[in-house]
Amino acid sequence: MTARVLVVIPAHNEQASLPATLAEVRAQAPTVDVLVVDDGSHDDTARVARALGATVVRHPVNLGVGGALQTGFRWACRHGYDIAVQLDADGQHDPRYLEALLAPVIAGRSDVSIGSRFVSSTGYRAPWNRRLGMLLFSGVVRLALGRPIYDTTSGFRAYNRKVIEVCQYDFPKDFPDAPLLIALARRGFRLEEVPVVMRERTAGRSFYTLGKQLYYPYKNLLASLMALIRKPI
Amino acid sequence: MFFLSRTQVITALGAVLLALYVLDLVRRRKLSEEYSLLWVMATVVIAVLGFSTPLLTWITHALGFLGESSTTFAFGLAFSLAMLLYHSLKQSRLTLENHALARELTLLRDEVETLRQAGSREPR
Repeated sequence: MTARVLVVIPAHNEQASLPATLAEVRAQAPTVDVLVVDDGSHDDTARVARALGATVVRHPVNLGVGGALQTGFRWACRHGYDIAVQLDADGQHDPRYLEALLAPVIAGRSDVSIGSRFVSSTGYRAPWNRRLGMLLFSGVVRLALGRPIYDTTSGFRAYNRKVIEVCQYDFPKDFPDAPLLIALARRGFRLEEVPVVMRERTAGRSFYTLGKQLYYPYKNLLASLMALIRKPI
Repeated sequence: MFFLSRTQVITALGAVLLALYVLDLVRRRKLSEEYSLLWVMATVVIAVLGFSTPLLTWITHALGFLGESSTTFAFGLAFSLAMLLYHSLKQSRLTLENHALARELTLLRDEVETLRQAGSREPR
């Protein structure tokens, strides 16, 4: 029996980048289903995605990228999927790596696989503030778990059924990064990094605006600490 | 008005007006009884502290504040902080509930659309 895989794409005003992303997923992985979670867009995101054959669910208001993923996981659980993949709408994540990302989860070797830019040299260069943040949070994760996860901010991940059952009820609403990984590892899930190459976004705007860049380190440090000391629900 | 100081008159008027306004808000269903309790209590504290100078002086000495006005401000500030924290708590919970509702609405709408499409494809 082959695993039923759902690719969840959170999309907030992504009508420009969705067509290319959806076409690529279709071309690289024709057997997976695609769910676009329209996170309260003001543009034609939902219509564009539907026209391209994706299943679309629409938030009545904007809930943030974490909120959109949680909806996707809920949907995946209700529709009996074995694996959910989180993939950005903006074209950063190359669906050519889907197979490699899925492999450890399908084989049952790990519960979560993370598409990582830093496991092996992949030529990725981030701006200095982004790099500093990545360094800080991989340090935080290493401190919390006693082993490293190099790419904590990667939004290209695959989760098996056990994990999405948990995530459909308990998921960070804004930044599903380091605190999520700490919480999942503490629940006993096995995390694994898979080397991928990421690209620059092709269109649209990043979720991470200036205000969020200032709020991000505070929120994620606190949430990491809480993920470490609080009892999982 | 020979036995009341000007401060006492102003405080009394303020407290009565605030109390009336709060009660009127409850009457018009703009303010829930739950929240009104906090404000009515605040009104009572203002009235008592503002009116009874001996009590205010006694509290000031007991707590070691430098003057009666400091005591008034300290109480006011403490009340404001408590109120702000309480509202942050409420708001955090409302946010969670709000998100859960929005998510549920999203999934229900999806289910309705799916059912409707299935229904139109094969009419009974």
